[in-house]
Amino acid sequence: MSDRKKKRAHEPGRNTLLAMMVFFFLAFFLLALKDGKWESFALSVVVPAIIYVGTAGISHLFPSDRLLLSLTNFLCALGVLVLYRLSPSRGMSQALNYGVGVGCMMLCAMLVRYVRSWKWLTGLIMVGSIGLLALPLLIGKETNGAKNWFYIGSYSVQPSEIVKLALLISVSYLLSQRKVILSLLFAGACLLMLMLQKDLGTALLYFGVVFVLLYTATGSVPLLIGGVAGGAAAAVAGYQMFAHVKKRVAIWLNPWADSDGAGYQIVQSLIAIVNGGAWGVGLGLGNAQVIPEYYNDFIFSVILHEFGLVFGLVVLCMYLFIIIRGIMIARRCRTVFHALLATGCASLIALQTFVIIGGNIKLIPLTGVTLPFISYGGTSMLCSLCVIGLLQGVASRNKAGVREDRELAMQGGDTR
Amino acid sequence: MKHLQKNIRRVAIFLCALFALLAAWGAYSLLTYGSRWFASSANTFMRTRKKNVIAGDILDRNNVVLATTINGQRVYQDDLNTRRAVVHAVGDSGSNVNNSAESFFASYLYGFNSSFLERLSFALRGEQRRGDTVRLTIDSKLAAYIASIFPSGKAGAVVVMNYQTGEVLTEQSFPTFDPQNITDSVKNDPQKPFFNRAIQGLYTPGSTFKMVTAASVIENYTNYDTLTLNCTGLLTLGNRIITDAGTNLQENKLTTHGNITLKRAFQVSCNNSFAQLALQLGDARLRKTAEDFGFNDNFLFRDLVVENSSYPTTNRTDGEIAWTGAGQSALTASPLHMCMIASAIANDGVMMEPKALLSATAPNGTQRAGLTSKVYRKPLTAEQAAVLKDYMRAVVTGGTGASAAISGTKVCGKTGSAEIDGQEYTNAWFVGFLDESASPYALSIVVENAGGGGSVAAPIARKIFVWMLKNGYIQ
Repeated sequence: MSDRKKKRAHEPGRNTLLAMMVFFFLAFFLLALKDGKWESFALSVVVPAIIYVGTAGISHLFPSDRLLLSLTNFLCALGVLVLYRLSPSRGMSQALNYGVGVGCMMLCAMLVRYVRSWKWLTGLIMVGSIGLLALPLLIGKETNGAKNWFYIGSYSVQPSEIVKLALLISVSYLLSQRKVILSLLFAGACLLMLMLQKDLGTALLYFGVVFVLLYTATGSVPLLIGGVAGGAAAAVAGYQMFAHVKKRVAIWLNPWADSDGAGYQIVQSLIAIVNGGAWGVGLGLGNAQVIPEYYNDFIFSVILHEFGLVFGLVVLCMYLFIIIRGIMIARRCRTVFHALLATGCASLIALQTFVIIGGNIKLIPLTGVTLPFISYGGTSMLCSLCVIGLLQGVASRNKAGVREDRELAMQGGDTR
Repeated sequence: MKHLQKNIRRVAIFLCALFALLAAWGAYSLLTYGSRWFASSANTFMRTRKKNVIAGDILDRNNVVLATTINGQRVYQDDLNTRRAVVHAVGDSGSNVNNSAESFFASYLYGFNSSFLERLSFALRGEQRRGDTVRLTIDSKLAAYIASIFPSGKAGAVVVMNYQTGEVLTEQSFPTFDPQNITDSVKNDPQKPFFNRAIQGLYTPGSTFKMVTAASVIENYTNYDTLTLNCTGLLTLGNRIITDAGTNLQENKLTTHGNITLKRAFQVSCNNSFAQLALQLGDARLRKTAEDFGFNDNFLFRDLVVENSSYPTTNRTDGEIAWTGAGQSALTASPLHMCMIASAIANDGVMMEPKALLSATAPNGTQRAGLTSKVYRKPLTAEQAAVLKDYMRAVVTGGTGASAAISGTKVCGKTGSAEIDGQEYTNAWFVGFLDESASPYALSIVVENAGGGGSVAAPIARKIFVWMLKNGYIQ
């Protein structure tokens, strides 16, 4: 056996791939036996195939972080499974989103790997983001109190999701160039646009990510205190300014006061969770459709309902591993820009997961952000996978750096 | 780069802490509130469940069947009077009564706790699944007796519990109804027969709250037994006037007690003295004692959903504080909570958690859950409890509660006549217990809009205790 083969057998995440494929094959096959539809049989083959391509295929073509890929693919496939089980049409289109998302992930990874000068690209991204964020204000539609969508043909687009990526790249780049003021101005402009769209959940995420990046780059304690104070002030201001925020906070404090009306969502979410118990009611046996927005904001409650708390905890750990893996990638970076970018990606996933799951279990007021990788929605799925793509790009830069070092060492001297 | 590494590590710790918070909050809220979410009437998952599982039986403590399922139909106790007497504790198939055994113990009744193997064995035998049999602490015979002596046409509640174990022998609400025959007149009755006043009704405790005020005095003043209080019959504080029962200001007729001791003031239930005591103690100390007894706490008992009692925290003028000492103002408590307060005094200062579930037994005979008595609070020391017990004994031997006395048996108690705006008569209260270690029973009685506690509620207490002693409620 060659050295290369031996090495690959020890790579983390290799044995899990087969287990994941079998898990999803069996899950879709179970649903297929129940409903007897050809789509279900097709998905029982297609989803494991995407997992294979998204995990083994990518790491074959491109030096990447195998464990990160496995975890991401598992969560995406889980989203397709849960959505398909509750609403087949949404599940089918989510499978498509997943497939396309894996492609976008590759593109983002290559972008980070091969682009050497970010100066002009960052400028372009910044102008583009402001333009994109302005679009829903001009031609958007209002849903659930927020005006953050617009339509291209029959496709709905949520620019705030795409701008997340732009924000990560540009703020990381500006901070790595010590252009703190400019980065703050840009982030502030984005936040203002989101406030105008009343998309406060996403605004909270942007704020969190920029704040984490700022702290990572400068390590300044006054900034830390100022940021927390600023965030608190913004939260109070948001509460005073927007009626729908006041309503959400009131629902959060006591959803049972109006359990048939305003509190219905969260009450049904909590009830679905306790009905699931430790081991869940079983795939295909629950009736979590009673929760409004079960496919989007409350998809984690659906998972807890059908798969149980133990599985839910496992899913939570998967997110945590993704984040820890992201942080490990950040710590191995050789340039400040890449370290910041990886930290930003990891914290974006972490904060977004925290904000929506916290809302589902009534830890914090519910905000309309999506659960990364799992929630229904093309833009959200694409964006989450692109964030992983950025991380993969950084990881591959790290690997390339290590290889260069080794070659240098073998040549026995400094040839640079 | 070194600083960067350190900062990244800190960010990582922060992010991990967020996830730990999620898991911890999830576990905490599920453990504390899970059973309440489950029992909520908004639980639509239950409806599907009910179609697939045969609900288990509900028995009383002597294994009398209170509810069973025959051919998919929920059927309640055969005897009409018993059925009506226990309906608030047991519940009805239409979920008209909130938080009854039918809904609160649904996880047992519909077999939610059954293991995979049990489910499999039902499936293999081709039978429909059966839920667990739930045995309550309720005594249906006692409940039926109480229903037969409760003043007809009056609203109110009666709670009887074992103060040593916390077992609730009965929690009844009046008016009551027949779960087998819910008519429109029941549904439209302005007295709301579906409402369980015993655990959900928030009443002004009136003079029964003097148990708490007296406890606060005993805790805070070592010379409580030599204190001399001067009752002039009238105490004016701002726009609030404190008077005693029998006073008529128009006719300039005042009830005065003169110079009396704390024990005497308790015995004759002197509002004036207790108002003065509340002012001397001050709001903070009185509130502390009340909170020690469970006021302002979020009751999260495992077996019962009891409405939270409140000691007022806003608008604390002298007049309000004075009236609080005598049990009026914005104070509220459920009959069950008042019964728990008497129980704590009876049980040497230890307040037991009220218990409603004796056991839950799976169809194959394994016991799923049993009774485990638990201390809820310790509001008093044994010495303080003994002093209060002596005061409560004096109420029955020579005070307002004389009509609860039974010769040869140590009955202790406190009466209350709570004034309610817009009501013709006061709400009659009696809260008391048997100071007999062989018969450790406490009770709490409220009769709405009926008159004085001493004349209306105390005789009912006497009848209940006499019946219990005669029917062998002696351990």
